[in-house]
Amino acid sequence: MTTARFAAIALAAAMLAVPTIAAAPDTIKARQDNFKAMGRSMKLISDELKKDAPAFAVIRREAAALERAGKRIPGFFPRGTGPEAGVKTEALRAIWQKPAEFRAAATKLDGATKGLRTAAAGTDAAKVRAALGATGGTCKGCHDQFRLDK
Amino acid sequence: MIPPYRAIHLWDWPVRLAHWGFVVLLPLLWWTAEEGDIETHRRLGIAMLFLVLLRLTWGVVGSDPARFARFVKGPGVVLAYLRGQLPAVPGHNPLGGWSVAALLAVLSVQLGLGLLSQDEYGLVAGPLNHLVSYETAEMVTEWHEAFFNVILALVALHLAAIAFYSVVRQDNLIGPMLTGQKEIEDDTAQPRMAKWQTAALALIAAAALTAWIGMGAPPS
Repeated sequence: MTTARFAAIALAAAMLAVPTIAAAPDTIKARQDNFKAMGRSMKLISDELKKDAPAFAVIRREAAALERAGKRIPGFFPRGTGPEAGVKTEALRAIWQKPAEFRAAATKLDGATKGLRTAAAGTDAAKVRAALGATGGTCKGCHDQFRLDK
Repeated sequence: MIPPYRAIHLWDWPVRLAHWGFVVLLPLLWWTAEEGDIETHRRLGIAMLFLVLLRLTWGVVGSDPARFARFVKGPGVVLAYLRGQLPAVPGHNPLGGWSVAALLAVLSVQLGLGLLSQDEYGLVAGPLNHLVSYETAEMVTEWHEAFFNVILALVALHLAAIAFYSVVRQDNLIGPMLTGQKEIEDDTAQPRMAKWQTAALALIAAAALTAWIGMGAPPS
């Protein structure tokens, strides 16, 4: 009787756990793609800023993309998608151990990308450069705390 | 009458400037990369680019002991040297010549990779990074990091060779690289050294090319 109940609970727990475990690699892949897309956007803006006449249309497009991608970050870190997931990830356990700090880091990024979008609305390359620097600084600030240092 | 000891000019100042510049810059480049100070790393890298371009130019137009044509020899000559069949000549020996060529080659490769590399924040990048895609630059940056081990291996070999010549052969290689002069016991002729005007021109050419690359190689 007790054994049967235990087995039932274990089975139910396993069934609940299976989707999470199966989804973890997909989640990790999706969040890595999201970060890569952000890196790509950073570079595209940076490339424009190197030119004598930067294409502000490109800068605006990529700034908007950065802001959107940044907003998605907190949702990409459900429990079970850390180093325990069994796939290659540089996400540190600190993300789940210090959720408030992690969220604060994401909020900083959001503020910085908003600033970048605002700067990109104008045509002052120096302002965009400063806002891009601030954005990159929030990336680095978060990585220093929450990403594996290779 | 030939005095028992006399000194010849062997390493002129472009060779010594490049050589000791490498010695100073390599550890600093490693350290700044390690510490994540990529902006300083980029600046030092450009200084390194200048020195390598100067040395490569000097290997073509410079003083005889500095010229590739003088010290890069075929395998037959290298084998003869290893068998002890060649008389000692001041300057790079046939084996050491290849060591110099290899060191300059790996530095050049590393510089090429560094020019295309990027940090991951879109903030600091090599001056030619805009010529490649984000994905290519990511890959190149990883190579740039890994390739440092190749440089380390060759530097270790270089230092081991210097120690070998110093201890086993009683031949001090460091002194001449510092002073430019080598003491010799026989009547070895003074090698032909380049004029200072040639050195000045090589310096200007290397600096101009460095500046152009540093500006992102603009077409005009």
